[in-house]
Amino acid sequence: MHELGILMGAINTVENFAKKNGVTKIQTLVLQIGELSSMIPKYIEDCYPTAVEGTLLQETELKIEILPGNAICKSCNHVFNLIENEDTCPNCGTQDWEILCGKEFMIKEIIAC
Amino acid sequence: MDAYKVLEIKQSVFDDNDQQADLLRTELKKEQTFLLNLMSSPGSGKTTTVLRTIEALQDEMTIGIMEADIDSDVDARTVAGTGTKVIQLHTGGMCHLDADMTRQGLLGLGTADIDFAILENVGNLVCPAEFDTGASKNAMILSVPEGDDKPLKYPLMFSIVDVLLINKIDAVDYFDFDFEAVKERVTKLNPGIKVIPISAKTGEGISEWADWLRTEVGSWNGI
Ligand SMILES: Nc1nc2c(ncn2[C@@H]2O[C@H](COP(=O)(O)OP(=O)(O)OP(=O)(O)O)[C@@H](O)[C@H]2O)c(=O)[nH]1
Ligand SMILES: [Mg+2]
Ligand SMILES: [Zn+2]
Ligand SMILES: [Zn+2]
Repeated sequence: MHELGILMGAINTVENFAKKNGVTKIQTLVLQIGELSSMIPKYIEDCYPTAVEGTLLQETELKIEILPGNAICKSCNHVFNLIENEDTCPNCGTQDWEILCGKEFMIKEIIAC
Repeated sequence: MDAYKVLEIKQSVFDDNDQQADLLRTELKKEQTFLLNLMSSPGSGKTTTVLRTIEALQDEMTIGIMEADIDSDVDARTVAGTGTKVIQLHTGGMCHLDADMTRQGLLGLGTADIDFAILENVGNLVCPAEFDTGASKNAMILSVPEGDDKPLKYPLMFSIVDVLLINKIDAVDYFDFDFEAVKERVTKLNPGIKVIPISAKTGEGISEWADWLRTEVGSWNGI
């Protein structure tokens, strides 16, 4: 499970952002995770308390938004969800596509109080 | 009660590391040290290939090795046996190295007199692909016993490397491994990729690999 280390890096980025912007108390952290990223939301949630221990984010709530894993078909230009369609274009049946989105792991925003 | 305020950050988690990596690359270029990031699954033959590479190039350039492992120092001991400068990096449970850890490693190794540094990354095909280490070039090893379907399962890794070594070709008779299928799959993901079949055991293909390195190290270091 590699989520913990990566999450700790993200927490560090948020802390620096908060310091720079004079934020002293954070209520919620909102992350965005693409369906095709190697980060598994359930694992992120599980290791969140450990990752924020002793940081400015210690008592914060975590919210995760999932971004769809979409691709465009190279044969017919149809845009479709890779997971729902099991990597196959539902329009023409080929598996020759390019990923449009879904690999992200983003820090979206913090809700400060 | 205080009013809540939403502060937009909108930053990729990998941004910080990407910046650190770019900075390190610029410094390495100035110092004339070529850094190769070598990745693969556990046991594909990274250490054996490192030994072959040292053998092939040590008379022409000064080489330094960084062995990254979650906890052991077996590989560093093996490499130390060749008399080459080597340092063991412990990732402390992390399954990949980032640019910061790579910088620490290079500091420990001391790059002033090193022309060519190799980082043996942690054996893993997922996270090392997401973390730029700051290397001049990225290489991965796929070994014959792992199967020719790996580019389908780990597309990101195959799409970010400059060169793919297909190792353990001496064992090809025992496995159904389709070289053409691999080449077709990886070229689709990564049109510029260089594919070199090798056997770190028999030495087959090592001269082509050494040629590729010689050219890359030379152009990086401005020789
Ligand atoms: N037949 C054959 N065996 C090989 C070859 N290269 C490596 N091996 C063997 O494969 C095993 C693993 O090799 P290593 O070089 O230790 O692999 P590694 O990728 O460094 O392994 P980790 O650091 O543990 O991830 C050893 O038993 C090697 O002797 C090869 O070209 N052919
Ligand atoms: Mg090894
Ligand atoms: Zn990992
Ligand atoms: Zn289609």
